[in-house]
Amino acid sequence: MDMALDQYAQAPDGALLVAFANGDSNAARVLATRLTPNALGQAYRMLQDRAEAEDVVQEAMLRLWKQAPDWRQGEAQVSTWLYRVVANLCTDRLRRRKRSASLDEIAEPVDDTPSVTATMQTNARMQALSDALASLPERQAQAVALRHLEGLGNPEIAQVMDISVEAVESLTARGKRALAKILAGRKAELGFEE
Amino acid sequence: MTKDKSILNDQAMDELFAQARASTVEPSPDFMARLMADIDVVQTELQAEPEAPTESVGLLRGIWDMLGGWAGSGSLAAAAVAGLWVGIAQPDSLQSVTDTLWSDSESVSVFATTLDVWGEG
Repeated sequence: MDMALDQYAQAPDGALLVAFANGDSNAARVLATRLTPNALGQAYRMLQDRAEAEDVVQEAMLRLWKQAPDWRQGEAQVSTWLYRVVANLCTDRLRRRKRSASLDEIAEPVDDTPSVTATMQTNARMQALSDALASLPERQAQAVALRHLEGLGNPEIAQVMDISVEAVESLTARGKRALAKILAGRKAELGFEE
Repeated sequence: MTKDKSILNDQAMDELFAQARASTVEPSPDFMARLMADIDVVQTELQAEPEAPTESVGLLRGIWDMLGGWAGSGSLAAAAVAGLWVGIAQPDSLQSVTDTLWSDSESVSVFATTLDVWGEG
């Protein structure tokens, strides 16, 4: 039986997922509306491509609905699970992107004439950052993205990635340093010249 | 303090990350409609799942379960191998086994002793 409308809004994510597994599609609609904006933002920040980000989120949500019957309330947060699946799907995409083009060929920066707008430079920076993430080992890229693009704390990242806080600290430190090295050669074109 | 040219400095990295955190997109109505359609598809699949097993599959599963499933299949396989060995083993080998098993009974000769007693009688 479907829940009353006000109950949907107050229900925790896990309860909505279980309700969906029990035949209540409206519960999943509420959950999708609740979770999609953040998941899409996460995917977009890593990929810097709207169409790819939408594909990733659609796939992640599909996986969520399909494993709803096996969901055990209290064992994991739906939002934590979704962070993990989106991060994994994004690094899969980045890896394919890395194979299909060398770093020199992608994210050509806009020219440096005075007409270049701040928005264009921001876009160029974001694309360069996404491409640089593609060059990192998968786990480093995920840890850096969750820490510096999503703003999650280390304990939360540890839960998402199912590793220790110490491992998170190590991955983010190494990942950030590797990114800084990759981007160093493009300081001028990205507007970071001292 | 010397500057390391081979690496983007912390200030630049922080600026880059801050810009990245501010970049986002909102789900479009079309995209949300796609997600909602997926919900209906999966719900239909989930509702259909309990009816999926056919009678024959159920019967086979029943037999499999009766044999103990995967756990029972180990014992069954061991018994089958032992039976196969007995079947193809050389007669000499079997002879030595039976000799070992029955050699004591040969030395008892109860029947022969009885015959002697009868002979004396």
